[in-house]
Amino acid sequence: MRAYLVRRLLYALLTFVGITIATFTLIHSVPGDPVTFYVGRVNVGSLSAQTLAAIRHEFHLDEPLPRQYLRWLRGAVTLDFGRSIQDRRPVRERILEKLPNTFELNFLAFLLAAGLGIPIGLWSAAHSGRLAERASAVGFFLIYSLPSFWVALLLIECFAVRYEILPLLGRVSDDYFELSASAQLADRMRHLVLPVLTLAYAQLAIFARFSKSALTEVIRQDFITAARAKGAGTAAVLWHHALRNALIPLITLLGITIPYLLSGSVIVEQIFQWDGIGLLYYDSILMRDYPTVMGLTVMTAIVTLFASLFADVLYAFADPRVRLGEEAMP
Amino acid sequence: MWRRFRRSRLALTALAYIAFMTFVAALAPLLANRKPLLAHGPSGWSFPAFADYVTADPDIDLPPRVETFALRAPIPYSPNSVDLPSRLDAPDRAHFFGTDDLGRDILARMIHGARVSLTVGFFATLIAVIVGSLLGAVAGYYGGFADWLVSRTIELVLCFPFLFLVLGIVALFKPSLYTIMIALGLTSWTHEARYVRGEFLRIRDIDFAQAARASGARDARIIFRHLLPNALAPVLVSASFGVAAAILTESALSFLGLGVPLPTASWGSILSAAHEHIDDAWWLVLFPGLAIFTTVASFNLVGERFRDALDPRSE
Repeated sequence: MRAYLVRRLLYALLTFVGITIATFTLIHSVPGDPVTFYVGRVNVGSLSAQTLAAIRHEFHLDEPLPRQYLRWLRGAVTLDFGRSIQDRRPVRERILEKLPNTFELNFLAFLLAAGLGIPIGLWSAAHSGRLAERASAVGFFLIYSLPSFWVALLLIECFAVRYEILPLLGRVSDDYFELSASAQLADRMRHLVLPVLTLAYAQLAIFARFSKSALTEVIRQDFITAARAKGAGTAAVLWHHALRNALIPLITLLGITIPYLLSGSVIVEQIFQWDGIGLLYYDSILMRDYPTVMGLTVMTAIVTLFASLFADVLYAFADPRVRLGEEAMP
Repeated sequence: MWRRFRRSRLALTALAYIAFMTFVAALAPLLANRKPLLAHGPSGWSFPAFADYVTADPDIDLPPRVETFALRAPIPYSPNSVDLPSRLDAPDRAHFFGTDDLGRDILARMIHGARVSLTVGFFATLIAVIVGSLLGAVAGYYGGFADWLVSRTIELVLCFPFLFLVLGIVALFKPSLYTIMIALGLTSWTHEARYVRGEFLRIRDIDFAQAARASGARDARIIFRHLLPNALAPVLVSASFGVAAAILTESALSFLGLGVPLPTASWGSILSAAHEHIDDAWWLVLFPGLAIFTTVASFNLVGERFRDALDPRSE
């Protein structure tokens, strides 16, 4: 176990270095003078040579690239990505203050998707071949193909525009601070419904399909046939023998879901003007606020890295074959 | 395998739908164009609509020329011809799917939008298949360090939340049809690489590969002539899902305003206009969304049935 952990940690470290190199390369392959990268969209030609040199020196652009990279890496390790071009505040501060809002949205969507998707998936694997199972398989399949921004627009059209029972956008109403504590909670819940639904439905389909195929895979194996042969009932076989083995692969979903959810946040937060890191990323891209863009790219990649590391270690605890056997496919 | 695939009526319908969409995309300038297909004017016979295949309509703002005879396109509107008096018209006999906030015909824009979606879908996937197959083949064939390096690279790419990476690349390098195709292609080859790697690991030491090696064939020849064709089927499955994902991502980029630059019509950008007019123009929401959904679902369905047909264990 320890050998596996050490190897996995080393890989994670290596991947971290890879993430920073990839991001740094991306910054420096952007066409145009890197000065614009740090000071915003200015007309570089209009600056005097002296000012330019001063700017270059201030941001260490006059140093050789490897030195620049190491300097930048030293910052990135402590999540220091410089200052935003928009308001000159540290990028780290701007990200950290938006993070809870995104976490709130993603966590609820994750709970909803897993809480509904996994039971449905397991149910349909146990009832394989029946009409209801086939219908639900096609249903999930279609759900998975729905573009999330379209779903969001349809939900808005239905619940916020036509029937006006849920708010159109934002995290809280305009009069939020004048409400009582319980009314504040209700207000926040009402604002959560549509974004969470939009973020969750595609994940729900993924969870259902994944858990279905996991259980189906287990049911095909010899020890299930053996359990049946010894006379155990269908329910007992499913419950005692199959289910536990089918749930283990679900751990890997943890590592897969998080980047998906974060990607979805960009769209959902933009549509609902939800004040999280997805919206921050979108706005920063429109403003060409490169330090914030790069900070967010590195940070979301690191979050994903940790999630998959966590999932892998958990998996190795649950399934000894992983840590004893050959290295699993990435 | 094709026989197994054919048994699914749903998948055949999906395949037919894809063919139909490809047809629409290829013939877009002839299906929706304000200029006639065939015209007789002072300067004799001409085929004005066909000119759009060479260059985009240059005199979009000029009034139409006088013709004595004209054979009109089925949808007599160009995707970018602005008509302010009829802005935000609900679907009627003149505009089957209504008009947008500049009075442009939605059906015409959707027909031309199909070109963007399918072009991006096909070419992004082509790039992904080429990159993925090559890397997967090298990793699976040589093993050792090459395999290790490719596996770590896959891990690295998968660490970036997909949309963050694509949005970043596209925005940094100016959004255009080509940037989007390249950005999507270079970020979504991981599935193909894994499939090819897995398949190569399985077959690289089977008799026919060893026979080829014994008869003195070079590595490249063994990889391309003997092994790669055997790994093609799972790659095609993954490519079908890849096209679906690429179309979905392209429309999301356009929806966010970072796709193919305006005024070029794209399904996603129509939906972005729909967002602004959500309370007074339902047709802007409904039709382009349906187009994205049905096309994406078709590609996913074909991929799914294709995969089932390949899997000997499924009934």
